[in-house]
Amino acid sequence: MLQLKSLSYHYPKSKTVLDNVSLTFAEGTIYGLFGKNGEGKSTLMKIMSGLLFPKSGQCTILGQPTAKRLASSLQNLFLVPEDFELPNLTIATYEKIYSPFYPAFSRHLFYELLQEFKLHHQEKTARLSFGQKKKILIAFGIATQTKLLLLDEPTNGLDIPSKSQFRKIMAEAVDQGRSIIISTHQVRDLHSLIDQIVILDNCKVIFDHSLSEISENLWFGRASNVPNEVILYTETSFGGKAVMKRLDQEETEVDLELLFNAVLNNPKGIQLALEQVYHGV
Amino acid sequence: MEFNIKRIGYAIQKDIILLKNTGFMALAVASGILFIGLFFMTRGDDYLSADELMGLFGLCFVVLGVFFSFAVLRKSHNVKSNHLYFALPISPLERLTAIWLTTTFIHTLVFTVMALLVGQLAIIMGGIIFGSGFHWVSLFSESYVKLVKGYFIVQPIFLCGAMAFSKNGIGKTLLTLLLIFIGTLFYGLLLFSILNHGYGVYPGDLIADQAFTKASKDFSGVGTWFFTLLFGPLMLLVTYFKLVEKEV
Repeated sequence: MLQLKSLSYHYPKSKTVLDNVSLTFAEGTIYGLFGKNGEGKSTLMKIMSGLLFPKSGQCTILGQPTAKRLASSLQNLFLVPEDFELPNLTIATYEKIYSPFYPAFSRHLFYELLQEFKLHHQEKTARLSFGQKKKILIAFGIATQTKLLLLDEPTNGLDIPSKSQFRKIMAEAVDQGRSIIISTHQVRDLHSLIDQIVILDNCKVIFDHSLSEISENLWFGRASNVPNEVILYTETSFGGKAVMKRLDQEETEVDLELLFNAVLNNPKGIQLALEQVYHGV
Repeated sequence: MEFNIKRIGYAIQKDIILLKNTGFMALAVASGILFIGLFFMTRGDDYLSADELMGLFGLCFVVLGVFFSFAVLRKSHNVKSNHLYFALPISPLERLTAIWLTTTFIHTLVFTVMALLVGQLAIIMGGIIFGSGFHWVSLFSESYVKLVKGYFIVQPIFLCGAMAFSKNGIGKTLLTLLLIFIGTLFYGLLLFSILNHGYGVYPGDLIADQAFTKASKDFSGVGTWFFTLLFGPLMLLVTYFKLVEKEV
């Protein structure tokens, strides 16, 4: 549905942010886009939503370049930015003036989600906290029922109960067959939500694998009595956890934070482990 | 090229609701200024003519129109709101059409109705306080048409400025206009000097005056065509490309 081909980007008079990035995003999947601060996650989100234009390569949604900002393309995507300002209106007025632009918008779903987030439609956005405003935008984004939903650091500003609420709502949203891309550096917040993990480092995609591939081939836990060549990454703290080749051990739950650190520290080793076992070698 | 009338309607509705409070405030200020001015005008000759109304109306109408044009496009420059502004499913052409219709036709309509109401109120109050005679307010005259026509030609320049400059837009647009005017003046003078120096004709000479008069007559046709039919659309075209190329 969304395709990035050999995409590169740099800000004016600045170093390269994205270098030769190629990715494909399919429907019905939740993608976790991870990377350290300043690695180009938000830039990539902006390119995907047509807010920035690639310097070379292409970004297309359903075959149309996002840089053209066609209404027909933009009707298929909704972006929840990391930092934003909502106009000073009641939530109901906000819905009334923005929803007509999205043909598949579900008012019923929007008000249901508002209820779930404990927000009243007559509340004025100016009187709400940033976290509450974010909930409005998340609810609105889900209610647009666009094929692609882009969320840039969606859990920033959300309190602890709201984070689990967010995970539940997102899991329901993906059942509708849409593609969701969540960019974050807080990998723990997305635990049990992600289907596919994409990691950016040094302007490039260094990791792009599904969670099932990872849990099939990698093992997460404490390394005791295992040969060194099986260990791919281990935490430096005493008794820290490790990422290992799974071999014939029981499947473990994927520890996103541990995986993220492992990929950043030993990208080749992780890639090799996934490819070797995945191809049945 | 995408052009959907419904979406233009939605965009107009959105812009009007978003600027409702600012608009009411600006209209209230303009109404106050108009009322005070017109109220004292009824004192002298018992009659508020269309031309008397025009002077003050014209000033408020154009100044507020310029501010309105800048206010409509302010969100496109705000780093915290331009994500949602540009990611909205509306094509640049539809967006520009909506903005242009709002800042020209709707602005003119609202302002005219407001001026008529305020003018009538001033006549009534003038009758009560100064004992001036009652009559219906008149606004529609040749100078009204000229003013509105002039505004429709000039407004796209400010729309273009509102899109091009993210900060101090009005000042920068006026400065650009001033520089263009000075540049054109010098260019004209230079051209005149080059073409006429060999003949010993200088700007102060009578023959030069005649040449200027003749040239301005000859040019007036071309100038009228250029400024009334081409200049506005040209500025709108520039604004369109600015919208298309704008990154956040």
